[in-house]
Amino acid sequence: MANLLYLLLLLPLVGGLVNALVGMRLSRRLSGGLAVAAVGAAAALCLWLYWLADGQGTRVSLLAWLESADLRVGFGLLFDRLSAPMALMVTAVSTLIHLYALGYMRAEADHARFFALLNLFVFAMLCIVLADNLALLFLGWEGVGFCSYGLIGYWYREPKNADAGKKAFLVTRVGDVFLAVALLWLFASLGTLDIDALNARAGALAPAALTGISLLLLGGAVGKSAQLPLMTWLPDAMAGPTPVSALIHAATMVTAGVYLLCRLFPLVSLSAAGLQAIALVGALTAFYGATCALRQREIKRVLAYSTMSQVGFMFLAVGVGAASGAMFHLLTHAFFKALLFMAAGCVIALAGHENDITRMGGLRRKSPLVFWSFLAGALCLAGVPLTGGFFSKDAILLAAFSRGDAFHWSVYGLGALTALLTALYTFRLVYLVFAGEARGGEHPAGHAGHDQPLPRVMRWTLPPLAALGLAGGLLNLPAGWPMAGLLDGWLGPLGGAEVRASHALELTLMGVATALVLVGWLLARRWYARFRPPAQGGLDRFLLRGWMADRAYAWLWVKPYLAVGWLLHRGVDERLIDGGLDGAARGIGRGGRLVAAWATGRLSSYLTALALGLGAMLAYFLVRQWAGG
Amino acid sequence: MIVPFAHVLVVSAVMFVLGLGAVLLRRNLILILIGVEIMLNGVGLALVGASALWQRADGQVLVVFLMALTAAEVAISLAMVVAMKRRKGSLDADVFRDLRG
Repeated sequence: MANLLYLLLLLPLVGGLVNALVGMRLSRRLSGGLAVAAVGAAAALCLWLYWLADGQGTRVSLLAWLESADLRVGFGLLFDRLSAPMALMVTAVSTLIHLYALGYMRAEADHARFFALLNLFVFAMLCIVLADNLALLFLGWEGVGFCSYGLIGYWYREPKNADAGKKAFLVTRVGDVFLAVALLWLFASLGTLDIDALNARAGALAPAALTGISLLLLGGAVGKSAQLPLMTWLPDAMAGPTPVSALIHAATMVTAGVYLLCRLFPLVSLSAAGLQAIALVGALTAFYGATCALRQREIKRVLAYSTMSQVGFMFLAVGVGAASGAMFHLLTHAFFKALLFMAAGCVIALAGHENDITRMGGLRRKSPLVFWSFLAGALCLAGVPLTGGFFSKDAILLAAFSRGDAFHWSVYGLGALTALLTALYTFRLVYLVFAGEARGGEHPAGHAGHDQPLPRVMRWTLPPLAALGLAGGLLNLPAGWPMAGLLDGWLGPLGGAEVRASHALELTLMGVATALVLVGWLLARRWYARFRPPAQGGLDRFLLRGWMADRAYAWLWVKPYLAVGWLLHRGVDERLIDGGLDGAARGIGRGGRLVAAWATGRLSSYLTALALGLGAMLAYFLVRQWAGG
Repeated sequence: MIVPFAHVLVVSAVMFVLGLGAVLLRRNLILILIGVEIMLNGVGLALVGASALWQRADGQVLVVFLMALTAAEVAISLAMVVAMKRRKGSLDADVFRDLRG
């Protein structure tokens, strides 16, 4: 029975391989259907096998992959109380997004490449989620990076898209290096890469080593999850097709960092400094993303920055010791952010392939279904009371506040401010896109198909996600509600420190959160309910360009790198090495010509030389004879 | 010995130098070959003289060999001269400078 767990990995892998190898020979319907079926079957299987995660969970080990001295790494799966909900979420959301992609990609020529990469992505993501050792996790970690690269640059004929793919790959690689160092360090000091064993034996590490490893793990997580300071790739990653943004850059891959920290939470939590760093990174990124989202003009970039910001909340949760809070927010966020992205894909199609929200407007009448779905996602994102996003965000803020020292209070303050900004930019988005009249809507000609109705499969994948997002709070209601703390109870000790807070405090914070959302909504209504052309001040541009992070990095890293490259190319290679070799060759050539001048080819000069040589020899012998007596 | 050995050596040296002069100064291939013959004969003369002086046959044997060798050499070189003349239409030694570096 437990061996069926392998099928979870195998199904998407086989689906991806079939599409990669023979996909172009299959019909579009068959290749897409295969991809959907593979992931859908994995989701059904995950649901069916869910009981295996109960208790201590189930471990299965297929074979030893690397075996050398002390290092023993196997293809082992760990299906426990942490990985099971995550795996279920990944497969379920993936299934819906694959279905959506069937409609979205209906006119693309390279459907096989798309579905192959999408399926392989699910495989790699499940590797991360289900791995029982860090080496296998790292394999999946790199796998999702590769698939993400391939899918961001899916329309690679435009250099902009290919560059975005490269950027995502390179920036996340920076984080991967930290993660790899952390793995080596862990293996060097504890002699194992097994996740359970690492968590159990972490206490044996020296405090300094623990802090170092925690920070390195944070570095790895930061790269994958687009947190400060490695966040610049996520907004550009929106160059990929919308299903990719929904699946990889909202629901699953960017949360892999959070999952990694939760997976190793028993280890990470031993280092107070590491936790504080995680909380700080999370809070700052949440704030950074929210401010940037306030002034973005492309609908998908707004959502990208909001993803960054929400993942920041999850980091914050891990940092304040509430791994279950992080997982809770991860799950609800996956639902509503996938929903928002997919609805955004519909919105873009309805607006005639227009990305700019300042040129949309009035879309509510065009498709009420899309509007209501998008609104449901937006309510969750803004944290309107009783939606999933409200409860999960509130749990995080409560956990931060209840730690009760200056650091955590300031982190809470930053989080609360971010919650206000979140409501503001979310409702700005809703107002600009759906309210009022269509602006600038006369679409540029040549966009085939904008008048076609949306495929049914694109529209009808939205309501299930909307339901999941709105009802996501049921997963983990706060204390005092019926069915409270389902996820906390399920995760048990894996969920991190229990939040100790009085009921009154909890209600107060909920009230504060509600008030913040209300203020954000009122401000958004006041500023954006009636369209005004966007301001162009210095601050607006600063936020639009994401705090100039790209330019700062260009000055800090890219330009020095290019300068060093130029120096090595022009200076060292061309001047020093090539010049040295050329000089040596020239010298030898010149010497050769000098010697060659003696070989005149004229018989007479040879004969003269012969005679002179003979004369010289005779003279030598004569002189010797005479001198020697 | 009727002729003093010193005279033999002087004549032989004169012949050698004259031959060398022809080899060095002439441009015509045949004249250069003649110069070579004169040089060889000068050497042969010295050998015969020495043989007569010491009353030993070695020198004369050497000269007989030398003559045979010279005959062969002349046969080959004259054949080559004919071939070269056909090739370039000239006997000037400086025309043949294909080996110039």
